[in-house]
Amino acid sequence: MGPGRSTPEWLGRTRVLMVVGKGGVGTSTVAASLAVLAADGGADVLLVSVDGKSGLGPLLGGTPLGPDEQVLRTKAHRSGAGRIRGRTITPKQAFGDYLELKGFGGILRRAASAASLDLIAGATPGMEHLLVLGKIKELDRLQSADLIIVDAPPAGHATPFLRSASALQTAVASGPVRDQADEVAALLADHHRSQCVMVTLPEETPVNEVIELAYDLEDELSLALAPLVVNGCWPDRPGLSMTAAAAARKQKITLSVATRRALDDVARFGRARLDMQLEQFARLDDRLPLPRIQLPRLPVARLRPEHLDVLAEALAAEPTVPAGVTK
Amino acid sequence: MTTVDIATVLQEADLVVTCGPGGVGKTSTAAALALAAANSGRRVIVVTVDPARRLADALGIDGSAKSHDPSEVIGATSHPTGSLWALMLDAESTFDRLITDRAGDAKRAQTILANPIYRSIAGSLGGAQEYMAIERLHQLWSSNEFDLIVIDTPPSRHAIDLLGAPDRLVTFFSHPIYRIIAAPGRSFARVTNAGSATFLWVVRKLAGPKVVEDIIEFFRSLSGMEAGLRQRAAEASTLLRAKTTAFVLVSSPRAEAIDEAAHLADALRDGGFPLRAMVINLVHPTPASIDGEDIPADLAPGPLADQFALYRDLTALAHDEAIEMDRLRDLADDVALVEVPLIDDIHDLDGLAELGTHLLLNAHVDLA
Repeated sequence: MGPGRSTPEWLGRTRVLMVVGKGGVGTSTVAASLAVLAADGGADVLLVSVDGKSGLGPLLGGTPLGPDEQVLRTKAHRSGAGRIRGRTITPKQAFGDYLELKGFGGILRRAASAASLDLIAGATPGMEHLLVLGKIKELDRLQSADLIIVDAPPAGHATPFLRSASALQTAVASGPVRDQADEVAALLADHHRSQCVMVTLPEETPVNEVIELAYDLEDELSLALAPLVVNGCWPDRPGLSMTAAAAARKQKITLSVATRRALDDVARFGRARLDMQLEQFARLDDRLPLPRIQLPRLPVARLRPEHLDVLAEALAAEPTVPAGVTK
Repeated sequence: MTTVDIATVLQEADLVVTCGPGGVGKTSTAAALALAAANSGRRVIVVTVDPARRLADALGIDGSAKSHDPSEVIGATSHPTGSLWALMLDAESTFDRLITDRAGDAKRAQTILANPIYRSIAGSLGGAQEYMAIERLHQLWSSNEFDLIVIDTPPSRHAIDLLGAPDRLVTFFSHPIYRIIAAPGRSFARVTNAGSATFLWVVRKLAGPKVVEDIIEFFRSLSGMEAGLRQRAAEASTLLRAKTTAFVLVSSPRAEAIDEAAHLADALRDGGFPLRAMVINLVHPTPASIDGEDIPADLAPGPLADQFALYRDLTALAHDEAIEMDRLRDLADDVALVEVPLIDDIHDLDGLAELGTHLLLNAHVDLA
């Protein structure tokens, strides 16, 4: 744990990490756990939420994230560990920062940022997304952290978000917006600077969606894909394939009828979940040639900061590579 | 305490809107409620935004070929008067049709449809997609073809956008910049009011002169259609708040989902939208209790230990989920609340019927 846990190679070589997945698969959890893992390896980490979600703060033991940076874990958390900070970036905020950076005067800036963002953004395809990505690019350029982890909008909204730069390159011929689009596109295309972590669950619909997302991101947008994270995996427990009576005999224990019945129901439920999970792993093997990391399903409804250590530990594992895939 | 049940809510409504966080089974819930109503003899349509492929297949709506017209789900119900229809919403084509209908003449419609600003707004931006969902709903409603419309919304944050869309459109047309730019009889060069000049100057600086010309042209071509659009928006806004409209909030027992659902419940109440029911979907079953003395504390690894470990996990999970669900229950004093167990991926009408049974049954989720 802690300093003894080494940062995986794929995580160590990147500067900006976009964590994407369908709603409800746990992208925020994975983003927070990756932050813990990278910080334990000594990195100074900035966690950014772009979809208005503020829950990453409490998940790491802080207050809800806002536009101002908040220190969620200090260096002193563990010896040798880096710090974790968190903040949100909204289009409106990014727009104000951008106008300031480009030297737009005070009165015009206020007029422009207060009244017209909706109209300007509506008028320019992908503008809101580009503003947010531009801000992230700017944070990277200023080297404000060793690693910036972005909790991206859910799949469906992730592709337009990440596509905004290339879309604007087509629509806008010149000017600051074009420059911004060029720079963001360069960041996303540079596989040494940025990667995407896709998150899914071992269930049919999330698996279908992540397969589609992977092809969108890699083929259409040429983004570098980090190992696929399969969240919420039930631990494999071979004993579930027996009846409770047989399992008890094997361990030389006598069970009451009520206990046997309860355990048989539990085992049946567990087997069904495991079978479904195996089926989805097989589909991923067939259809998504990416290294994979499995995260355990924790028996809680509300994750607390201590759970992130368990998930970080799992994220540190060597990814499994489907047969026939070269790394 | 909850006094109403979801069956009554469904019976009394002629418009049901499902909303909630992502990944909790909103679309399945919408389809299951629609199917249940069809089985009670009503003519029902379920309108979805972005169904998972297998569910779309079950409803006979093909994801790759979005249709503008409802299609009947064959074999959905054996009730003599009941029928189930499905429609997958395509915001862009709805918007195009609206422009074509309202523009007055074909040439004008063509100008608007070809404008790059229009294309970007119609595609995905500026809340247009949300507005078009409401517009389509309004069309279905006015057609009087259905006894019940069940409409599924995008995940929470976007659901609030969707519900606010009619009001926002009205605000948009009242925006001073819009009014100045769209005022007829002024050339580009003479759009010189301070507010619009600033706006256009900023846009020109940021995105170039071509975009400015497109914006002016787009706003100009919309003028004249404005009154009609505003009226529709106002009607849609009233419809969403009608007595016979029922909002059904869907969540899972996971903390993030419950947090979002609670937030959404507040937003619905603040907006005057009639929240009538809450569904907590994907609830893990509570195992029956076992005789504690049966399992020794120092149980060695082995098959029984595996079973007992899962027993402990599920018991802990059920306990934890109950705490989260209570938080939502506290907000549900005057609405129906139902727990629905985790059912494996629903991909056919039988699956929807099973989900419907759980929805209308309203029982605690036990493992058996």
